[in-house]
Amino acid sequence: MNPLAVLAAAPAVPYDKAGRYVAAAFIVLFAIVLIYVAIMATKLQRLERDLGDINRELDRRQREQAESADGVGPAVGAATAAAAQENAS
Amino acid sequence: MHGKGLRALTLATLVALSATFALVVFWAPNDADQGFIQKIFYLHVPVAIITLIAYVVAGIFAWRQLKTGSREWDLRSYVVIHIALIFNIVGLLTGAIWAKASWGHWWVWDEPTLVSFLIVFLLYATYQPLRFSIEDPERQARYASVFAIIAGAFVPLNFMAVRMATSLVHPRTFGTANGGLPGEMMFVFLVSIVAMGLLFWLIVKYEIAQKTLTWQIRALRRRLLGDDAVAPLGRSAAPTIAPQEAPAR
Repeated sequence: MNPLAVLAAAPAVPYDKAGRYVAAAFIVLFAIVLIYVAIMATKLQRLERDLGDINRELDRRQREQAESADGVGPAVGAATAAAAQENAS
Repeated sequence: MHGKGLRALTLATLVALSATFALVVFWAPNDADQGFIQKIFYLHVPVAIITLIAYVVAGIFAWRQLKTGSREWDLRSYVVIHIALIFNIVGLLTGAIWAKASWGHWWVWDEPTLVSFLIVFLLYATYQPLRFSIEDPERQARYASVFAIIAGAFVPLNFMAVRMATSLVHPRTFGTANGGLPGEMMFVFLVSIVAMGLLFWLIVKYEIAQKTLTWQIRALRRRLLGDDAVAPLGRSAAPTIAPQEAPAR
């Protein structure tokens, strides 16, 4: 026999007034938990945005450090060469 | 370390809630007197019991806050009361649905159990405005803790007073001369209490983890980007946690 037909013939939640009230009580709990999850998702999105800002700032600083480290070598070398030339002359 | 064990707790809560739902709908016998409507009992009563226990637990946390001066305990007490209030609303709504289904009225004013539960709700509804009215975080934590302790002590007193009051309307399930619940109903009821307790604990843990994380990120932003990168704190009912107090994750 088709299980759906069995369920339709003898439903777990009766379709009468009592079934509707019991379903309503469970829907209240479900709806409130769902609202809470939605609020929590919004808060998590905000946290993710803040973490993104922090990550971007860290990346920018690392790039700046790397660029200045690259720049320090030749600049110091040029200054040293200029000083040596001055001394030689 | 508030996020620790969240996955396991979430799974346990899901399993317990699913089991409760299945047992209530498919397994628990229909009440001889009320029929199918009585199944609201497996939702309404555990939610109400967890709510009342939570208020007492919040009082204990508040007492710890006064004793140690730690904002961590204030945060725990605040979050427990916050979530208990939501559970309280669920208890009131499901109770009203049950009352309408079995008595024909959404609310019965001469029923001590209902009215006392509403009084407890209204009492705790003043907790957030009380906190909001105090700007200094230290004073806010102290006053809120005193409130939570006194209100937490009121809850069991209120419960006992109602139990002692005789009522012919609201059903008494435990410790009555007519006997308690039959075995199958009691089993489903206990599973439901465990499920609601897990759900409550899970939400409290999520809330505390989220709040702690927010404060840690705020502190990190300030250290990295300077004070200008962090919006000034407005007045809030929620407790503030100093960065050094925010637990390491």
